[in-house]
Amino acid sequence: MDNKNPLSPHIQIYQWHISSLVSISHRITGIINIIAITLICIWSSLLIFGSDNYHFINLFLNSLLGKFIVLSLTWSFSFQILSEIRHLIMDLGYGYELKTTKITGLLVIFGSILLTILIYLIGKNYI
Amino acid sequence: MVQISLPKNSKVEKGKYFQDKTGSKNIRKVNVYRWDPSTEENPRIDTYEVDMDNCPSKVLDLLNKIKNEIDPSLAYRRSCAHGVCGSCAMNMDGKNGLACTTPHAEITGDINIYPLPHLKVKRDLIGDLDGLYKQYQSIEPWLKNNSTKDKEEIIQSKKEREKLDGAYECIMCACCSTSCPSYWWNGDKYLGPAVLLQAYRWIVDSRDEERKERLKKVADELKLYRCHTILNCTSACPKGLNPAKAIAEIKKMLAIANV
Repeated sequence: MDNKNPLSPHIQIYQWHISSLVSISHRITGIINIIAITLICIWSSLLIFGSDNYHFINLFLNSLLGKFIVLSLTWSFSFQILSEIRHLIMDLGYGYELKTTKITGLLVIFGSILLTILIYLIGKNYI
Repeated sequence: MVQISLPKNSKVEKGKYFQDKTGSKNIRKVNVYRWDPSTEENPRIDTYEVDMDNCPSKVLDLLNKIKNEIDPSLAYRRSCAHGVCGSCAMNMDGKNGLACTTPHAEITGDINIYPLPHLKVKRDLIGDLDGLYKQYQSIEPWLKNNSTKDKEEIIQSKKEREKLDGAYECIMCACCSTSCPSYWWNGDKYLGPAVLLQAYRWIVDSRDEERKERLKKVADELKLYRCHTILNCTSACPKGLNPAKAIAEIKKMLAIANV
């Protein structure tokens, strides 16, 4: 077999569209969430070893970087949840028409941003 | 394995520039992927200036014009020229489709033409589809019915026949399979949308008696479940079919059926 032939360009040239973007974001946010949940578990287990740890992490989460991370995670969780609902509906065999996938994809993207804002406002006791 | 970047011998280089000689004022630049198997060189992008005043409406017409009037060495597959044979499937403006049914007026800016993605290139715009055909063969795309005698016709109701709509129209142009990132990374094991759509076509055929065996055959972590509903396939299909939906239906049948 002639395997020396070049491979034609793929991801470098292929056009992105809503559902491919949502799909790849679903994977990325999934990985981020797993790491985040692990870190949260470690944080809670650290409480066993005294209040110093709690204060330290609390201080970090209240810094500007900490706040940014928490807000980003809120978004990635929101995105994951909404995208997962979209996947569940699709697993039932619905919503495969191109127009529908576009609409549900956009709903996931904008919905995740809205949900993040909502959670933020609830957390701040504004609502 | 997921390999985002291209291997060393596949890196695309800048190629020749063919300036317009007709003196036309309506010029468009067409960038075409070129690779010559007789040389050791890397693939390159040649740019052609094409006189659009004397060019019919489809991308295939554009390529024919380049081949006939500018550069006869350009190689691409084509046959019927009206979207039935599936030979001229290629990547135009970052999207797979048939060159003969894609109007170049729909592409804004320079027209970029590549072979179907993630295939071994045979020459210029011709990709090697042997792997896909082997997978197609593996699902045994023919009617299996042993209980009916040869001369007897097999009755099919209108409703049963309707199940094949949206599946039998496939022309196996490979636009969908080569647009699928899952197929790019796992094309050796994952069957891909084109073949799975055909698998579905035979699974739902009321005349076929090996439905269970067919389902069993595709019920595989790699063969079937690599579909992550990216929907590149459905948006690429030049015949307006929905391979992603067919794959979902197979998954559903497997969830319900006891195989």
